[in-house]
Amino acid sequence: MQTERSGIGAPDAAFPNMSEYILEMLNISKSFAGVEALKDVTLRCKPGLVYGLVGENGAGKSTLMKILAGAYRADAGEIVFKGQRRDQATTADIINSGISIIYQELALVPQMSVADNIFLGREPRHPLGILNLKQLYTRAGDLLARLGITLDLRLPVSELTIAQQQLVEIAKALSQNADLIVMDEPSAILAGDELDQLFSIIANLIEQGVTIIYISHRLEEVFRIADEVTVLKDGEVVAARPLAALDRPTLVELMVGRSLDEIFPQTQRERGELLLVAENIATDTILQDVSLEVYAGEILGIAGMVGSGRTELARALFGADALTSGHIKRIGKDDAAWSSPAQAIRAGLALVPEDRKRHGLFTALSVRINLTLPILSRLTRLGIVRRKAEERVVQAARERLSIVMSAPDQETQFLSGGNQQKVVLAKWLETAPDIIILDEPTRGVDVGAKFEIYKLMRQLNDRGIAIIMISSELPEIIGMSDRILVMNDGRVAGELTREEAGEARIIEMATRSERAHKPA
Amino acid sequence: MNSAAAFFKAKSEGRARAVFLRRNGPILMVYAFILLLVVIGITQSERFFTERNLANVARQSAFLGIVALGQMLVILTAGIDLSVGSLVKVSILVSAIVMNGESANVLPAILATLALGVIVGLIHGFLINELRIAPFIVTLASLVILRGIGLTISSSPVGKASREVMMFYVKKVGPVPIIALMFFALVIVTLLLLRYTVFGKYLYAIGGNTEVARLSGLPVKKTRYGVYVLCSLSAAVTGLLWLSRMGVGDPAIGDGIELQTITAVIIGGTSLFGGRASVLGTLGGVLLLGITANLLVMLGVNQFIQGLIQGVIIVAAVALYKQEGD
Repeated sequence: MQTERSGIGAPDAAFPNMSEYILEMLNISKSFAGVEALKDVTLRCKPGLVYGLVGENGAGKSTLMKILAGAYRADAGEIVFKGQRRDQATTADIINSGISIIYQELALVPQMSVADNIFLGREPRHPLGILNLKQLYTRAGDLLARLGITLDLRLPVSELTIAQQQLVEIAKALSQNADLIVMDEPSAILAGDELDQLFSIIANLIEQGVTIIYISHRLEEVFRIADEVTVLKDGEVVAARPLAALDRPTLVELMVGRSLDEIFPQTQRERGELLLVAENIATDTILQDVSLEVYAGEILGIAGMVGSGRTELARALFGADALTSGHIKRIGKDDAAWSSPAQAIRAGLALVPEDRKRHGLFTALSVRINLTLPILSRLTRLGIVRRKAEERVVQAARERLSIVMSAPDQETQFLSGGNQQKVVLAKWLETAPDIIILDEPTRGVDVGAKFEIYKLMRQLNDRGIAIIMISSELPEIIGMSDRILVMNDGRVAGELTREEAGEARIIEMATRSERAHKPA
Repeated sequence: MNSAAAFFKAKSEGRARAVFLRRNGPILMVYAFILLLVVIGITQSERFFTERNLANVARQSAFLGIVALGQMLVILTAGIDLSVGSLVKVSILVSAIVMNGESANVLPAILATLALGVIVGLIHGFLINELRIAPFIVTLASLVILRGIGLTISSSPVGKASREVMMFYVKKVGPVPIIALMFFALVIVTLLLLRYTVFGKYLYAIGGNTEVARLSGLPVKKTRYGVYVLCSLSAAVTGLLWLSRMGVGDPAIGDGIELQTITAVIIGGTSLFGGRASVLGTLGGVLLLGITANLLVMLGVNQFIQGLIQGVIIVAAVALYKQEGD
C-alpha cells in the first residue's frame, strides 16, 4: 500500500514553530479491543483555514475527533491546542479552551428556545441565579448577526428546520468563543440550497479567524471549501496536502485502492425470472425517483454512502414507508402490490434490518421465541403453541445456520453479533420468502461468521431466492453482487455489473455531487 | 450574506407566538371548561355560588394545588414523585405529635415537618442521582415505606393542633381564605422560577434532553436534588395545612394525592416525558378537578361516578394535547 506523507501532515517534519499551528494532534494511536482504529495519526491546523478530513466509513475520522473532544483517550500521542497540552483534558475543558464540535446528531434541547439553547449552561445572570433575559436575547441576537442570519430567538428549536438547528449549534460554538470548530458530516443533514448557506457561513467564520475542520465523504464539498485535505484510510493518514496539490481522481484513489481481503464464494448462475419491479418510487424521506428490477436467484447490491437513501429504499420496498409516488409490483403471485410490511411478507418479502438490536431482535427474549414469532400461528393447535413443532423449527435453524448457543432458551442478547445475525436470518427464512432484503448483513460480525453468512446467501440464491443487499463495505458489495445499484442523494446514480464495478468507480458515483446542477 | 439572512428570516420570523398559542390552546380549553362548570353550578344549584362554598372550593384546590406544583416541577425533569401522598400522611402525624396542642410547640412542629420534607427529598435525589434508580421505582418504594411508617406511628388519630393553627384554616382576607392566597402566591413564585431563574431553565433542559444538559456542563445532579426537595417540601407543607383543617394527626389523610396531582399536571398540559410544563395549565387542572368534585356533590351525583368522570377528563385532555401539540 502506498503511504504518502507530505506538507503539514508529515510527522517527521522539523518541529514547527509553536505559534504557527493552533492545533497539533501528533502521532495519535488508539485501539479498541485489540483492533487498531488509529495508527500514528498526525493532524496540524493553522488558524483561519478550512481543513477537510476525508475517508471511507470506518476510516477513523470520528474516532480522531472524539479523541480531540476528550470523549476518548488516545493510547499514544499528544494533542497541543494553542500551545498547551490537551490530551488529558475532559470534555468540559476542551469546550472551555475553545474547541467546539458539531456532531451529526445535534446536541440541542428541542423544547427550549433558540436563545436558551445557545447559552445553555452559560446563561447571562444576575445575582441569586436570576436570569438576565435582556442580555440573553441581545447576545444571542448579536451572535446570529455575526453569522449573518435571523432566527426568532424565542422559538423552540423543535420548530426549526434541521439546517436552522445546525446554525443554532454554530452560534452556540461561537458563544463559547471557539477558535476551532469541527463539523462532522455537516452536509449529511442538509438539502439543496441549505448547503450554500452553510458554506457562506463558513467563509464568514474564516474571515473572523476561526479554524474549521470539515469532515465529509462528499468530495465536491471538500474541493469547494477546504484549504488543506487530510485523507484517512484504515486508521492511517495516507495523505495531507494543500487542496491545490490534489485532483479528484487522486483523492478517490487515496481514499480506496485496497485489495479484497475477503474470499467470496463464487458460483456461476443464470439469472432467473423477474420477481419484482419498482418504478419511479419516492417516499417522504430522501428517496426520489428510484426504479429497479429484481430477478430470482441473484444478489442485487445497493451501494452508496451513509445517508444516500439505501435504508430508505429498503424500507420503501418492504412497505414500511408509504410511497408518495411510483409503484412496486410483485411479478407472479397475482402481481401483488402492498402498502404494509405484513402485506409485503405475504407477497414473499423479508427484511433483515440494519440495526438488528432495535429492529430485528427481541434481545431480552430467547432464541426460541425470536425464531418462531413470525410463524407462531403455524405452530399452534387451538391457540396453544405446540412445543414439539417449535422445537423442530429451532433445531433445524440451529443446524442449517450453525448457530452457536447454549440452549434454545438463551436470551439473544448474550449471543455474539454473528450468531444474532444468524438468528435474524433464520427467523425470516422460516417465512419462506422469495426476496430477502439484507441491510448491512455483516456489520459488527466477525470474519468467520461473515463467511458463513456469505455462504448462506449463495445457498439461498441456489434455491431461487433473490437477495437485495445493502452494504457500506465495498469489497463485500463487489465480491457478492451480481448487479450493483449506486445510490447518491436519494436517487440511483447508476447501475454496474460485477465486471464493471471497482471501488473507485463506485465511490466516484456515490460521491459525485449533483446538487450544484439541480434546479432550486 | 444578505441572501442567507433573507432565507432564514422568511422561514422563522414571527412564529414564536403562533407556536405558543398552538401549544397552549388546549389550556384555554381547560379554562373554558371550568367556566362551563361554573355556569352549570350557578344555574343548577343554589348552594354552589355562595361565598361559603366557593371558599371551600378554593381551599380544597389549594390543598391539591400546592403538591401539584411540586409534582409538576419533578415531571418537567422527566421524573415523577409517587411518594407525595404518603409524605403528606407522615407530615400531618409528625406535626400533630410534636405540636401536641401547645402554642409554644408550633414553630418546632413546623420546622420538624419541613426538615422531614427536605430529608425525604434528599434521599430521593441521592437514589436517583447516585444509584441511578428510576424515579418511578424510587418514589414507589418511598410511597410504601412512608405509608408503613405513618401507620406504624398510629392507626388512629394522634396529637393535636394548637388553637392558632386551627384558626389558620378559617382565616380570610376579605372573602378569600388565607390558604387559597398562599396557593396563589406559590403559583406566582413557580411561574417566576420557571421563567426568570437559571434553576428553572435547567429543569427544562434536563427534562428535554438529559444528555445534552450533561454535555453542556449543567449541574444535573444538583438540580435534581433541588427539584425533589422542593416537591417533598410541597407535600410537607400540605401535611401542615391538613393538620390545621383536621385539628388532629389523622392517619387516613394523604392516600391517593399522588395520583390526583399527576392527573392535574397532565390535564394542565405538562408532558410526562419531560421538557414541557405549564404553571397556569396545572392551576387549571387543579381547579377543574376541584370544581368537578364539588359540583358533583352539590348536584347529588353518586360519588363513585366521580372517579369515572375524572378518568374521562384525563383521557379527553391528553387526546386534546395530542391533537394540538404535534
